[in-house]
Amino acid sequence: MVGMSDNLAAILPAIIVMVTGFIVLLGDSCLPAWRNNGKAFNPAVTFVGIAVALFFDMTRMGAKSATAFSGAVVDDPFSRISILLLGVAAILAVLLSTTYLENKKLHHGEYYVLILFSLFGAMLMAGSNDLITLFVSIETLSVALYVLAGFARTEERSEEAALKYFLLGAFAAGFLLYGIALVYGGSYGLSHTGQATTNLTEIGAGLAGSGLGGVTVMFGIGLALMFVGFAFKAALVPFHMWTPDVYQGSPTSVTAYMAALTKIAIFTVILRILSVLTPISSVWLMTAQLLAILTMFGGNILAVTQDNVKRMLAYSSIAHAGYIMAGVVAVGAAEGKFHDLAISSTMFYLFAYTLMTIGSFGVLIWLSRRGRDCQTLGDLKGLVKRDPIGAYTMLVFMLSLGGIPPTMGFMGKLMIFNVLLSAGLTPLALCLGFASIISVYYYLRVVWMMCFMEPDRETITEHATESGGTLFAIGVTVVLSLFFGLAPYLAQTLLAPATSILVR
Amino acid sequence: MITTSHFLVLSAILFTTGVVGVLVKRNPIVIFMCVELMLNAANLSFIALGRHFGQVNGQMYVIFALAVAAAEVSVGLGIIVAIFRAKETINVDEINLMKS
Repeated sequence: MVGMSDNLAAILPAIIVMVTGFIVLLGDSCLPAWRNNGKAFNPAVTFVGIAVALFFDMTRMGAKSATAFSGAVVDDPFSRISILLLGVAAILAVLLSTTYLENKKLHHGEYYVLILFSLFGAMLMAGSNDLITLFVSIETLSVALYVLAGFARTEERSEEAALKYFLLGAFAAGFLLYGIALVYGGSYGLSHTGQATTNLTEIGAGLAGSGLGGVTVMFGIGLALMFVGFAFKAALVPFHMWTPDVYQGSPTSVTAYMAALTKIAIFTVILRILSVLTPISSVWLMTAQLLAILTMFGGNILAVTQDNVKRMLAYSSIAHAGYIMAGVVAVGAAEGKFHDLAISSTMFYLFAYTLMTIGSFGVLIWLSRRGRDCQTLGDLKGLVKRDPIGAYTMLVFMLSLGGIPPTMGFMGKLMIFNVLLSAGLTPLALCLGFASIISVYYYLRVVWMMCFMEPDRETITEHATESGGTLFAIGVTVVLSLFFGLAPYLAQTLLAPATSILVR
Repeated sequence: MITTSHFLVLSAILFTTGVVGVLVKRNPIVIFMCVELMLNAANLSFIALGRHFGQVNGQMYVIFALAVAAAEVSVGLGIIVAIFRAKETINVDEINLMKS
């Protein structure tokens, strides 16, 4: 038996994040000295908390995989890598938030508390090995994000975004929970113990033993409903309707955060669950491929007509979910060393996606002036003359999102393309190529607007409020996207431990 | 004699009612009630299955699901109140500032 301290050690980073959340919550509401200096204290404490959590996460990177809380939570290199990515996304988001929130007069301590609590949920998702742990942690993440989406209380758009996110998110939660209930019922007799279970390890062992023969109708329907829930949360076409409105309406710093965080967390979960379902991959592989193709083309085609950059980036994030889904399909289809390669490529793409999404929303934040968000393509006209820093960094992110070398986005797409080919999924690889070609049009339209158009009006020429944090975050993302674009194998080596998913 | 399958059929009916309700209703409060119906259908399945298998797990899961549902209610009603203050309506057809 493992002791309580071992249990807690397995989720140490998540616990640190949660405790930091409580500290910020209490400090901001109870200590007058803290409250008066909230603008400095809240982000600083949040930053330090996440950094400490990441430090402990990294020191445990080489440790042996273990389960904790009677198998409900797993602490393996895969979850540690995802926790690392989640933490990086959160730190970048915190850096981007401070000045933007001040400009919008939204600088409240609760913002950071909600960031920390949603990060806590996401970190637990990365380590959850039981469907109920999974459900509770997904909802911890989601409920905090519903509030964050509506954080600009006086803006109708923000409230609208929150309402839509909430209704669709709760709808998805219903599918997820009912699916879990059916899987619980259908798992009876599947595992060796002859008990109904929601534990992924036991379900995986049962499936490996029984193969397709052990799958009951109830189990199958349950899995399908669960994946409807996941597809809603990951914004895969045809379950993507909420994404553009929510991303457009939320405060930009929240959009950057949730676009990165939810995608990392949900794809970690999808990878883990599908690796449990590998013995019955013949059933779901076709559906997953179809979802990936629909998502890639759906997101890209809908993005073409958008004039609002935030909305365009929302559709582009849908398309990128499709590319990541293609990587997931490759993980399911590939065998032997290609299987590991597929996992590390998918994780690399998730990392690349995190950097370019946070970066491109970060530039929009950088360009937003007091009381006026930079959102439309018109706002970007002639940017290269008005604000070269914003223009050139945006250029890098647009090239990266479009998959043009020498950026990380290009390397990520190339890796996924490669693993798809080696897994024998040539049609899907070709779809990925065509979808990327469509996407280049609307990314380069932004570049064209920035570089070759004259600005419409001179209303937004005054310089932004000094914002070191925003600039730093953008700088880091630019440097990393270029660096890992040129040295992708370094990143793949860093992410290589992720290939040992414990439950397999 | 009421067997476990009766409970499962009832929960399937409740779940379907909830899904249809979410899709056809236009008032967010009613939509949310339908979501609650979906969650409670799942809870009913959990309890019935747990009883059928003689396990305590199923019934324990319901407590978790209830806690999550309670958190969702408090956040959701807060959002609905906030949007009513901003727009004087909560009809989801009129909440359409952002259209492509």
